[in-house]
Amino acid sequence: MRDVLASQLPVLIVLLCLGAAAKVAVSRSGREPTALARLGPAVLVPARFQAPALLVCAAGELALAAGLLLSTHPAIRWASVAFFSMSTYVLLELRRRRPDAGCGCFGEVSSAPVDVRSIARTMTLAGLAALSVWAPVPGWVAFAQPSWGFLLAGLVVLAVLSPEIEELVERVRHRAPCEQRPGPAEGVMLARLRASGTWRAERERLASPEPYDSWRELCWRFFVFKNHEHDDVVFAVFMAGRRPAVRVAVVAADNESLPSYAPVSVWR
Amino acid sequence: MAYPSVDRRRTLAAAVLGREQGFPGQTAGGAPLRAVTGQIRDISPHLVLVETPDGADERLVIAPWAKAWHGGDVAPADLPLGARVVMRTREGRVVEHIWAETLRITGTIRSWEGRKDVRVELDCGPHRGRRTIVIPYRATGRLRVRHPQFEPGYLFDAIGVRKDGTALAVLPATSQPAYPARSVPPPPPAYGGTTARISGTVTWSDAFDEDEWGASYPMVERSDAGCPDAGVSCAGLPYLALGSLLQVHNVCTGRSANVPIVACGCVAGRFCDRCVECDTSPRGRIAELSPLTYVELGGDLVKGCFNAQIGLG
Repeated sequence: MRDVLASQLPVLIVLLCLGAAAKVAVSRSGREPTALARLGPAVLVPARFQAPALLVCAAGELALAAGLLLSTHPAIRWASVAFFSMSTYVLLELRRRRPDAGCGCFGEVSSAPVDVRSIARTMTLAGLAALSVWAPVPGWVAFAQPSWGFLLAGLVVLAVLSPEIEELVERVRHRAPCEQRPGPAEGVMLARLRASGTWRAERERLASPEPYDSWRELCWRFFVFKNHEHDDVVFAVFMAGRRPAVRVAVVAADNESLPSYAPVSVWR
Repeated sequence: MAYPSVDRRRTLAAAVLGREQGFPGQTAGGAPLRAVTGQIRDISPHLVLVETPDGADERLVIAPWAKAWHGGDVAPADLPLGARVVMRTREGRVVEHIWAETLRITGTIRSWEGRKDVRVELDCGPHRGRRTIVIPYRATGRLRVRHPQFEPGYLFDAIGVRKDGTALAVLPATSQPAYPARSVPPPPPAYGGTTARISGTVTWSDAFDEDEWGASYPMVERSDAGCPDAGVSCAGLPYLALGSLLQVHNVCTGRSANVPIVACGCVAGRFCDRCVECDTSPRGRIAELSPLTYVELGGDLVKGCFNAQIGLG
């Protein structure tokens, strides 16, 4: 039983350290608030607090990693459960308020928009942290005597839930981030849009299945249609991945600044 | 269905991605400069009367320290009547710099002929077509020394002046890139520890409408912009669209503005040069501004470029 409870401590400690290092690297790289990549929950705070927010988050992660490594105190264990639970809430909020922002969990590699997998990953991590609350040994003992079976199982689950791995493969293949890579042709992106649940939910309201305008900006391709009320229905399709994130909003035809009602995000 | 305005794209993209919509205009850098363009109707040492492109007359005060350029430095009062001018004003009505009949001659050399005065035919890209210019004998040495590969297929960039309906190249605007226009070097690897802010050189072009506020940008999708030569740059630029808002920061003067992308900058993307206006910029032209925008950001049309950083507005 001791093996099961302590088996995930090394995973949590390594992930916390990696997250902290990536966040420090992003805040030191001099990205401006209006820079082209919009990363993580930092976009939810005012511009002047964005870099400090990243650093505070990194410091918290590092403190938790050190605590898990060296101590068996329940306060630290519960703090890590609270941290991952709060991260889940923050990602849900980020997905609702800024659907274009990546989770930023591992710096700029996590620039893909927050999807179900990113949220499932933080929920899994919260679960693993809860499992470790009752581990009788500190993290360094778990490192010294790992139970390989459980450790690998935890790693496989996290790898499946990590969109960053696909992004890293793309980077090795193309040597450029998504916004600098030539994207799939407009027809391919339109086919991906039409294969999405968002499209099926909106299809009936459109006056014509053919978009009247389409353009690419950074990692998104936009398609604009007219609905039966002659309002604009705009879809944004993320350019990376075969089953990309799709967003939709309806904007009144005569409206120049605000959507007629809040943007709709439909889960696939 | 009529093709929609590309300005509408900003509203739609902001709505669907839940981000704030930016608006064109100067955003930072002290008291705003205003550029005025038009045709001189009357000029004296202290006052100038111009007819603006929308047909209105505008009377402006010429500052005692004002400079003027018309193929060379001249006194403002010596500018000819009827000349098309771009003027930089402070506090709205005080002119401090006048550029008359100033041209930006940028393109790929197609052919040239002549022994003394050299007549050059340039390809200025799919949107701008071809133009024929003349390099007067007195300027050939100065231009040829900065354009050592004076052969078809190589790039050419000069500041010129329009006189009697002829475009005369007067000053080199850059040192000619050493490669043919079709062989632009690839951008540096994006993950090689380069800085995240995109820096480079920003130039201007005379191919915009006289009173247009906007920029041309090299990295647009070819199918979107209808430009078969787009999508080439050695600066590692992200893909943007016609209608996107570019935040341009002039590093030399500290001025910033949100500038909409209104055209594809396929020729600008082929220049992998630097600007040495206030320091040495990284390689690559990241945008080409309309004269009005360029002057309001603090640029000097005769110098031809400024060091800049860009972001998404």
